[in-house]
Amino acid sequence: MYFRLIRNDLSKSKLITLTTTIFVAAAAMLFSLSAILIVNLSGAIDSLMHQAKTPHFMQMHSGAIDTVRLANFAEQNSNVDEYQVLEFLNMDNGQIILGEQSLANNVQDNGFSIQSEKFDYLLDLEGDIINVSDGELYVPINYMKDTAINVGDKAIIGGKEFTVAGFLRDSQMNSMLSSSKRFLVSPNDYVAIKDHGSTEYLIEFRLKDLSSLSEFETAYASAGLEANGPTITYPLFKTLNSISDGIMIAVILLISVLVVAIAFMCIRFTLLAKIEDDYREIGVMKAIGLRLSDIKKIYLAKYTAIAAVGSIFGFALSLLFKGLLLENIRLYMGESENSLFAAALGIIGILLVFFAIIAYVSGVLRRFRKISAAEAIRFGTSQERNAVTKRFSLNRNKLFNTNIFLGIKDVLARKRLYATMLTVLVISAFIIIVPQNLYNTISSTSFIKYMGIGNYDIRIDIQQTDHISQKSAEVLKSMNNDISITKYTILTTKTFKTKTEDGSEENIKIELGDHSIFPIEYTEGRAPATENEIALSALNADEMGKKVGDDITVVMKGKDITLTVSGIYSDITNGGKTAKAVFTDTSENIMWSVICAKLSDKSHIDEKVSEYADRFTFAKISNIDEFVTQTFSSTIKSVGKASIAAIFIALIITVLVTLLFMKMLVAKDRYSIAVMKALGFTNSDITIQFASRAVFVSIIGIVLGTLLANSLGEALAGAVITSFGASSFSFSVNPLSAFVLCPLMMVCSVLITTIIGTSGAGKIKISENIKE
Amino acid sequence: MKKIIIGEHIVKSFGEGDEKRNVLDGASVDINEGEFVAIMGPSGSGKSTLMFALSGMDNIDGGKVIFDGDELSSVGEVELSDIRRTKMGFVFQQPTMLKNLNILDNIILPSMRDNRKNVAKISEKARELMKRVGIAELEMRDITQVSGGQLQRAGICRALLNNPKIIFGDEPTGALNTKSAQEIMDIFSEINAGGTALMLVTHDAKVAARTERIMFMHDGKIVSELKLPKFDGTNIDGRVGKVTEKMWEKGI
Repeated sequence: MYFRLIRNDLSKSKLITLTTTIFVAAAAMLFSLSAILIVNLSGAIDSLMHQAKTPHFMQMHSGAIDTVRLANFAEQNSNVDEYQVLEFLNMDNGQIILGEQSLANNVQDNGFSIQSEKFDYLLDLEGDIINVSDGELYVPINYMKDTAINVGDKAIIGGKEFTVAGFLRDSQMNSMLSSSKRFLVSPNDYVAIKDHGSTEYLIEFRLKDLSSLSEFETAYASAGLEANGPTITYPLFKTLNSISDGIMIAVILLISVLVVAIAFMCIRFTLLAKIEDDYREIGVMKAIGLRLSDIKKIYLAKYTAIAAVGSIFGFALSLLFKGLLLENIRLYMGESENSLFAAALGIIGILLVFFAIIAYVSGVLRRFRKISAAEAIRFGTSQERNAVTKRFSLNRNKLFNTNIFLGIKDVLARKRLYATMLTVLVISAFIIIVPQNLYNTISSTSFIKYMGIGNYDIRIDIQQTDHISQKSAEVLKSMNNDISITKYTILTTKTFKTKTEDGSEENIKIELGDHSIFPIEYTEGRAPATENEIALSALNADEMGKKVGDDITVVMKGKDITLTVSGIYSDITNGGKTAKAVFTDTSENIMWSVICAKLSDKSHIDEKVSEYADRFTFAKISNIDEFVTQTFSSTIKSVGKASIAAIFIALIITVLVTLLFMKMLVAKDRYSIAVMKALGFTNSDITIQFASRAVFVSIIGIVLGTLLANSLGEALAGAVITSFGASSFSFSVNPLSAFVLCPLMMVCSVLITTIIGTSGAGKIKISENIKE
Repeated sequence: MKKIIIGEHIVKSFGEGDEKRNVLDGASVDINEGEFVAIMGPSGSGKSTLMFALSGMDNIDGGKVIFDGDELSSVGEVELSDIRRTKMGFVFQQPTMLKNLNILDNIILPSMRDNRKNVAKISEKARELMKRVGIAELEMRDITQVSGGQLQRAGICRALLNNPKIIFGDEPTGALNTKSAQEIMDIFSEINAGGTALMLVTHDAKVAARTERIMFMHDGKIVSELKLPKFDGTNIDGRVGKVTEKMWEKGI
């Protein structure tokens, strides 16, 4: 009997059944994929870090190094199992040419190493420790995808020719979030190219027991050993390795939750419409003594079938797409050892979706209890009591056309019914507006204020080269004689040590120079004006727990100097941790210099940029607008793509939910539609009434969605941007798209869908629905 | 006397194939302007279907219906709606009111379709009608806050508000107690005295006895007619007797 009932029901509503099945399958697929990916990712990371023997503690250091002192420390510390110091040859990207392609425009800090002897091995794609010969170069795995380089191609590093012998996996620097990348060369070749770059040291430790890591960290810090650079620990390496694929998995999980919600809505609206259609029959079944559970089974059967088919289909799809999504994980980290466990977890994910659907349908069907058999048989429709709003009455209405009035009135009288549709519209508006506002914000020129730089035209970066101060002076001399440049300044970044409250020392990058020439926006306070003032970036201020007016101690030439915090500003560059000061420091440990200039005629910027680029090949010259877009071009592009995708997804959800909701509403309201028709209202009157309901709900939805996007959405986006170093964040909104085009697009979709979805209202017969 | 409705050989069938059944099987009906008629017949004889066919609320499969000069099967959906709204009034057994609206709003609803600007005038007229049928104090009430009889009176007000040429009533007193039913019939007689034609579908001999012509239906056809003088409030028992006698004769 159930099979016949299911077959009959399915043949009557093929399209909606198909849509629901597709959503169930998609949800099942996504859940299963997430489970498979999570297990594989964690397995692959463990394998990689195990094979590579990733250090438990690593201190990067630039500058002089006392290896004897370090070796003594390692020997004396009972937690240390193994210890080594690796050299990392940091080279200007312009000196690295892979095949035909120069890495000059690459944003990574590329460097060269030799294979380590004890641990922290660089592995080939089979997971084996690479044994590199003279003349061979192993390239980080990222460049396999990002460049056209192939094994056997030539590479020129600092003028020396190499052959690309393969690609390497680096358990430390594999992640895109790690800003450094290690190339592998032989010890002889390393010596040959050593003069073309600057040496950094990787001071690495493996501990006997990882649980003693924090104890070891404290010991290292208090021993006052080399620490001019970031410290990275084993858990952080693990996080870095898992984060980009982890984000992908999180996004898939989020989407699957969204898809499940849509599947639930499809089920809810179709089921409610079906209950309305069958109202009298349900009454009869109750009247002749069928148990509620028996009646429920009839309806549950169809959705059990849909859930089963969808889940099986979803699982099959997840197996099909698994390879595609695992490709990245396999490429970067290798195979995971627990693929059987992954498949089992995938099946658990599918079962979760299956049972969630059954439980949900069962929940919706609980309303059978409320159906009065007598009422159902007599009226054939549910006799819900509506809240009649006293103020909004037809006999006082002069403003709206009667059909529009009836539409609005219906929404006000049945608020609970429309709440689902409203929620979907609010979410859709939110999904459309937030990425778009974010895109507008990061692509607008005013985004510069979050980068801690002033309003100038040309930026000249001098870094990773020798004699920075002489080279900077050379540029400044030219600028001084250049009449097209109205003003310029040089800002030099150097590393200093600051003393924290517990007495330990930390490095701080301070940009020295005259900050009044191209002032930046300060979220608190003002620019440093005197020698004993310093301005901190928001992240630095936060981390150091400093406010405007507080003092910080900086060590200069071995002496403690107290500086007062004059201001706090946003900076999302250089990891968000910078500082600005005006004091003079004659030491030569310059990290980089930036020369900023403003032109008398902006139209000559490009000309000037190429003129200076030709003249000063050691420097990177950029048009400031291009600098902003270049720095964030991949982010801007991704957010742009995401915002377009978001519009499509939100509109599809809106259309689907509106369609199903309107179909349900027509089924529910067929009695009042018949009454209207009997009283002389035309089919187009009825359509206008439904359209008014839909437009009214969508206007409220859009308004709430926009408010939410500009409050919660802004706060969320702000939280992300703040974590990169901005101290305050506000959307720059494009009013035309945010307040006109997007709402119009949503209203039009809702309107057209409503007209299509309520076309069935015209077919409702008065005689069949006003039965006595 | 001018005929407001001419129905000729009306056929209406339900079902398909072997299960197809003519509910109206060539029924012919004429109703004059200002006339008060009743349709009687056993259950399933086609009374309500005939009313739906004559009012254009249902399509017919054969024959024709001319209402006030317009053949209903040849006018479009919009014109048909206009005719129903402006020239016809309806009172059903169950009060067909919209749950979202209060009593007054339900009454003025069809009139507001075209005359929104005259809302004050329409409401005033509705209030007069409500006063006339004895529900003046209920205008702001929700439809669930009044009795069935009061709701039926509100339905009559709604039917009357556009000054229709005819009011169709499908068992209008069927759901009411005797006292309420009598009061409703008094209102119908009063309306008819004002010149509005009425056509009531009923099982009740007491209701039919108030009218001046009773058509008896059987198997989708009008099989007999009984004419009575206009009801003047007297001799109701004698009229009921005549109707009952005819019903016996026709086996209804």
